Amino acid sequence: MWASIAWRLFWRELKRGELWVIAFALFLAVASVISLSGITQGVKSALMQRSAQFNAADIVLRSSQPFDDSVLSLAQQYNLTTARQMQFDSMLFAADNMQLSTIKAVSDSYPLRGELILRNSSDVTNGNLASLTRGHVFIEARLFDLLGVVPGQQIELGMSQLIVAGVIVNEPDAPLSVFGGAPRVIMHLDDVPATQIVQPGSRIGYRYLFAGDSAQLSRFETDMTARMTPHQRWQKMDAESAIGSALERAERFLLLAGLLGIVLAACAAAVAAGRYSQRHTQSVAVIKALGATTAQIRLLYGSHLFLVVLFSLLIGAVAGQVAIEAANWGIAQFLPDYRAQFSWRPLGLGILTCLICALLFAARPMWRLSKTAAIDVLKQPALSLGLDKLQLIAGAAAIWSLMWLFSGEFTLSLGLFVLCALFAGLLMAVAALLVRMAKPVAAGQSSARRLALANLRRRLWANSFQLITFSLAIFLALLLYFLRAELIGQWQRQIPVGAPNQFLVNITEQQRLQLDQFALTHQLQLDNYYPVVRGRLMSINDEQLLQEASKEDRSDQRVGVGRELNLTWLSALPDNNQVVSGNWFGAEATGQVSVEAELAERLALMLGDELAFSIGGQQLSATISSIRKVDWNSLQPNFYMILSPDLLASFPATYITAFYLDAERGIVLNQLARLMPTVTVISVDNIIKQVNDIIEQVTVALSFILLIICLAAVLVLVAQVQATLEQREQELAILRTLGAQYAFLRNALVLEFALLGLMAGSFATILAELMLLIVQQRVFNLPFQLHYNLWLLGPLLGVLVVTVLGWWQLKRLLRIPGAELMRKVLQG
Amino acid sequence: MKTPEVHIKATNLAKSVKVSDGSLTILHDISLTINRAETVAIVGASGSGKSTLLSLLAGLDTPSAGEVYLAGHPLHALSEDQRAAIRAADVGFVFQSFLLLPSLTALENVTLPAELAGDKQARQRGLTLLQQVGLADRADFYPAQLSGGEQQRVAIARAFITNPAVLFADEPSANLDAATGQKIEDLLFCLNADKGTTLVLVTHNDELAQRCQRQCRMQAGRFVGAEGVIADVG
Repeated sequence: MWASIAWRLFWRELKRGELWVIAFALFLAVASVISLSGITQGVKSALMQRSAQFNAADIVLRSSQPFDDSVLSLAQQYNLTTARQMQFDSMLFAADNMQLSTIKAVSDSYPLRGELILRNSSDVTNGNLASLTRGHVFIEARLFDLLGVVPGQQIELGMSQLIVAGVIVNEPDAPLSVFGGAPRVIMHLDDVPATQIVQPGSRIGYRYLFAGDSAQLSRFETDMTARMTPHQRWQKMDAESAIGSALERAERFLLLAGLLGIVLAACAAAVAAGRYSQRHTQSVAVIKALGATTAQIRLLYGSHLFLVVLFSLLIGAVAGQVAIEAANWGIAQFLPDYRAQFSWRPLGLGILTCLICALLFAARPMWRLSKTAAIDVLKQPALSLGLDKLQLIAGAAAIWSLMWLFSGEFTLSLGLFVLCALFAGLLMAVAALLVRMAKPVAAGQSSARRLALANLRRRLWANSFQLITFSLAIFLALLLYFLRAELIGQWQRQIPVGAPNQFLVNITEQQRLQLDQFALTHQLQLDNYYPVVRGRLMSINDEQLLQEASKEDRSDQRVGVGRELNLTWLSALPDNNQVVSGNWFGAEATGQVSVEAELAERLALMLGDELAFSIGGQQLSATISSIRKVDWNSLQPNFYMILSPDLLASFPATYITAFYLDAERGIVLNQLARLMPTVTVISVDNIIKQVNDIIEQVTVALSFILLIICLAAVLVLVAQVQATLEQREQELAILRTLGAQYAFLRNALVLEFALLGLMAGSFATILAELMLLIVQQRVFNLPFQLHYNLWLLGPLLGVLVVTVLGWWQLKRLLRIPGAELMRKVLQG
Repeated sequence: MKTPEVHIKATNLAKSVKVSDGSLTILHDISLTINRAETVAIVGASGSGKSTLLSLLAGLDTPSAGEVYLAGHPLHALSEDQRAAIRAADVGFVFQSFLLLPSLTALENVTLPAELAGDKQARQRGLTLLQQVGLADRADFYPAQLSGGEQQRVAIARAFITNPAVLFADEPSANLDAATGQKIEDLLFCLNADKGTTLVLVTHNDELAQRCQRQCRMQAGRFVGAEGVIADVG
């Protein structure tokens, strides 16, 4: 019987629009959690799939130890396809020529993702496509000239003789770095033993490549991680690459937005649940007076609420899933080979969110509701909008557990939660102070203003919660809006239109003139020439460095870089570099070096340290006079060490330069390759295009999320105003009966909301600026700058939004004739 | 002559409430006996304590001191839920402000107490009662669609659905105009006589009080005159 009453109550209240605030709050919580986690997952998986092409596999395990069959057989148990590769530097010999090269030896199934394109000629644009077979090698175009060989000729590698079968056109997992390093060679893995290069202590990188179903991959990754030896590690996407960092920031933004969305939806649910319980107090008293026990009330209202939750959950889940599908469709427009994978996680998270919101926010008001005394049927029910301590604790626990559940990051969710809680506490204190100050101010005002101030004062005292939620809603929307703008702006600055997309490496002094002439003829705008001298860091403050760092080495000797560095000399600090300590040396400085900050930290270098380099057998030393932060995301030549010009100018150097080339003028590159075959052209067009695609993709996702957050914020405001409707009805009835005019009441109402909006908007602005400072520095690693427009936008937005929403919801009350309003109030 | 059966018996009832500076006694030493099928009016000005007395007699609240028995049940010694069970079985209410559930139709409001008691015939009985109060054609209307008088008629039908042994009416016509109020009063007394229910009516209207067999006048939380005896009203 109670089920039938509960069903009728639910259905009627739904039809009469009584439930929409709580139902919409829960709906929004479910829909936003499902869509946010689903879209984050979709964007992540799209970018993972794209990055897989750069890894030649879905995931890669790196090792410094020879291949272990148990790893491969474990992967087979998870139905994954595998490939193996070894990478090492070695000297190649051809007749009288020799060249240090980076050799990659691969198994038959390489690559598992992306495309390896080989041609049987020495020209990347000509010749037939070829594939790798035993006894053959494919080499990078510049090696043909450096070694003086043509396809079909033999080269020597260790103890083996291998035939040069052609040129490498595209190698999916080639380093994306602008400095390609040593020229690259691809050979078959089976040919490695015969070279006898692999000796104890040889510096060889072993890689296991895996591809397959993402769920299986993830299970395998977990299983494998538990078995990993200290020599093994997963190859993560390079966080320093432009794509890696764009992805990482977008992910963090989505995560943050999701968390903020949850806070807002939870606030809306809390307010709505409070109002729900308030609206039903008298009904419960009546039902109790008619003989219902507390247990019956719990059953009745419990099932009523269950139906509300179920309803919101169902439509929320459908809306969330539709949003995910729409996002997947959008991603597929950018990534034709994108394979969207269904996952239960967003749905599960959504359901859990809804249940936690309903249980922890509604349970307490429901409990209080069931305890309504039957005697209240004879009393005017007290209108209270305050939260009791238990509900506050339960609500706070709910918000935090949701944040943790959603992000999976304990510290981040705790940090954000504590900040929101501090914010709430601070607002409460400020609200109390303002309210105290409002009284003397009100004394000299017109009556409408006095009424507005009096209303504000009274309500603020009773419900500073309202001001907190208003401020919180505006604050979160502002924060997200500015972070989104910040993020997109940052990305756009990273790759400005017309930025160089073709890099030329290995230019000799003699070729510079020739290249200038070529650029003039083809109307190319050449960037600066950066001189490059390769050298090895030998000692720090006369302490010899260990050149090959290995895990087994337990000696106390300081460890060096482990490879040759590209050294340059410049008199002016490059654009994307920032001196973090010391001073940049001027043109006149001698014997100085500027070190990149991360390398300085890794090698424990300090200002004033003396570094000794070995360049082509010659020694030179320099004193560290500055430490620089380098923006590795910028697609420009970046250097770990920049020496003062006096030190390097006499060494034979090669040069790097860059220019921008329209996609239609690709032919110019072929002409350049023919003119200067030893110059390597590294095209970053693909990288730029990919980064731009991702930015575009993520921008759409971010805008969608901002929309959800704004909706949630508006909902909180609506829920709050709705919660005061009954109280306002009573007051209006009294004021109207006392003869207050429409214009007077309207002015008082508008003024009250405008003041409230101004307060909320101003608090929100201050907090948003503070939060931006923290988030920019801690989460996104962006430099902080003051957001002047925020200080205008925040308070203005507060006034506008709060006034419009307040007016929109309450204007109906003002239009009800006084007598009708009074009757309505008297009848309860 | 058959001795009338005592239906409600209150002895030395007192009710105090806590206020900021101590406690305030709103009922003092009330004793009252009401027989089965008797109609009793509790009369008094606003704030005289008559509604508080009604809440104690009906088991909506418990006294601070004294005893109250309803059909032999010691209401003063029972828990909220035990009193609720007694109300469900034996008590009907009509309130000044009708107190219908806005989300339920007229018929559903009438049948609610019977449904809560698990009565399978609730709907049929509800329709009959609505017919008796002249609202058969308004069965599917919501309270907001009914006039004040119609709402109170629904409330009266609701009060009688469980065939209560005692009906408590708190200012049943105070929120209505004189003509409608009169009709409501007629209906209430008519149904009451028809069903042989004990009626306890709280009112400040002496004319209405006069329609009851007995009137008890209250002033400042006390009966005026001898305890529980017929007071001289008018």
